[in-house]
Amino acid sequence: MAESGAQLFARLEPRRSLKHIEPRLFPDDGGPDHGEVVELHGTEGTGKTELLYHLLCRCVLPAAAGGLETDVVFVDTDYSLDILRLVSILDSRLSAAGGLEEAELRSCLSRLLVVHCSSSSQLLLTLHFLETAFSSRPSLSLLLIDSISAFYWLDRCEGGASVSKQEEKLSKCSELLGRLLRDYRITVFATSHAIRRSYRSPDAPGSSSSSSSSSCSSSEGERPYLCRSWQRLVTHRLLCCRAEAGGNMAAAAGGGNKEQRRRQVFSVHCTSSSSSSSSSSSSSSRLKAYRSSSFYVTDGGVVFI
Amino acid sequence: LLNEGIKCAHGASSSHQEGIAVSFVFQALLAVRRVLLAQHTAFPVSGADLYEELLSSTAILSTGNPSLDKLLDSGVYTGEITELSGGPGSGKSQVCFGVAVHISHHLKQRVMYVDTTGGLSASRLLQMLQAESSNVEEQMEALQRIHIFHAFDIFSLLSYLYSLPATIQQVSVGGGSVKAVIVDSVSAIISPILGGKQNEGMSLMIQVAGVLRRIAKDFNVAALVTNHVTRGGGGGGGEVQAGLGLSWSHVPRTRILLERTESAGTGHCSVRSATLIKSSRQPCHIKEQFDLQWWSTSKEGSAAKRKLDDSDSR
Repeated sequence: MAESGAQLFARLEPRRSLKHIEPRLFPDDGGPDHGEVVELHGTEGTGKTELLYHLLCRCVLPAAAGGLETDVVFVDTDYSLDILRLVSILDSRLSAAGGLEEAELRSCLSRLLVVHCSSSSQLLLTLHFLETAFSSRPSLSLLLIDSISAFYWLDRCEGGASVSKQEEKLSKCSELLGRLLRDYRITVFATSHAIRRSYRSPDAPGSSSSSSSSSCSSSEGERPYLCRSWQRLVTHRLLCCRAEAGGNMAAAAGGGNKEQRRRQVFSVHCTSSSSSSSSSSSSSSRLKAYRSSSFYVTDGGVVFI
Repeated sequence: LLNEGIKCAHGASSSHQEGIAVSFVFQALLAVRRVLLAQHTAFPVSGADLYEELLSSTAILSTGNPSLDKLLDSGVYTGEITELSGGPGSGKSQVCFGVAVHISHHLKQRVMYVDTTGGLSASRLLQMLQAESSNVEEQMEALQRIHIFHAFDIFSLLSYLYSLPATIQQVSVGGGSVKAVIVDSVSAIISPILGGKQNEGMSLMIQVAGVLRRIAKDFNVAALVTNHVTRGGGGGGGEVQAGLGLSWSHVPRTRILLERTESAGTGHCSVRSATLIKSSRQPCHIKEQFDLQWWSTSKEGSAAKRKLDDSDSR
């Protein structure tokens, strides 16, 4: 398709790299670079949406408040975007950086574009539509999808008995995403829900952090259920789970303070696989790097431990 | 143009232009593609506009019971789904009645109540209303603002929900807008179709979730649903969890678990304990105790009546 000179320029101009968006989450020197996809996976209530808000805020905040000042597109497939919560996080970050003005908040919010989708066909068409948005706004460097697995059961039922038909729509979306990633060099973050409960033996009461980390690694073994083309796209996989470390924190903080609120601690386990780009051998080895971190949620957003 | 072989919008958008352009003018194809995209895609909204819209339209509906309100961060929010789960006899339907009565009487707004278990009785609603006010006319007005629909299978529920936007507009003409949709209970309809090898059950469940969410967001209503409980863990004897599985657990924004309390009093106890199991606003697992009789006690009496919390008097 013919494109104008301006579009060509917008396409080739390097977008803002998000490599350093959150060094505490990703393995050293392994942040999401151009054209990489990060998938946040976990059961409900494990802090995936909070992490997403944290990353979103990091992107839209002005540089004075510690942000990257880039534009973000948020594709909301299950109406779970809580703008009020997002605004409260932005508020606390802006006021921590000094000076809370209505205009600044508004300019941060105007860097965010929100799209609601209600079926995977609509998602596919919306991604086509967003291509024009990408080509016309060179500051748009992040695409957030929450969540990519929302239409899983609907597609599965529509596809009937054949697995390929079931996965057809999501694989088309993934292929389109792949093309957008290559052409426009953006980064994609997506959440997916865990749908199979892993039955493991109940933890002993008063569990230490070691057993909580084992419960996290057991869920690593669960099979990813989304289609293969999506799995091929994902370069970083963040597994979120809950850790029962609240008691430990209170004990460590000092015995006199009985008012210590039991905080729910979440832990994230990051698996980054990147194919080695320098080698020209026929077999491209996939390097895997791991990193675990924990955080808890406060009114002002996510605080890493 | 559309008859020629472009069967679906995806085909038109993603297929190579050269393939179909044999008999078409390239420009015409582009125009068709643009129209199709414009008709079917979702349009992006700027975050600032969304925020402003939400600020002006979100409301918090009090449930009428202060301890419940404390758990829910001052009430049920519009635009979201709130879930109440609990075992049999834990008071879920009573809480739903109480919320419906409070909204229709105090807030003077309409409530759409979907009853799937046959547990709704108008006389109980009237009893609750009689405790609120002794004026018969007011009671009748409040009762009129509660619209009831009986649905006993998933398909009638789905057709009702799909036709709800039209119903809401129709009903709002008579004064007072719909502010709450209560589905009691959603698990009674859905759990019989789950399980086994067929996927239709899960897909229907997700469809119900999608429709409810869309209605809640578009019409600024608060959706309240009830759910049963199961025991988690491998083989019997795990902790009590809300039912309908993991896929449903992502649907409600806030979840509350109701339980009977082990009180030292006599047999009939109307005190229940509510635990917050999922919330995006408050730390989880805070517990509150409240009395189911709260909605039927007259508030106009003296303060001595509030001591009914201990439920000794009966």
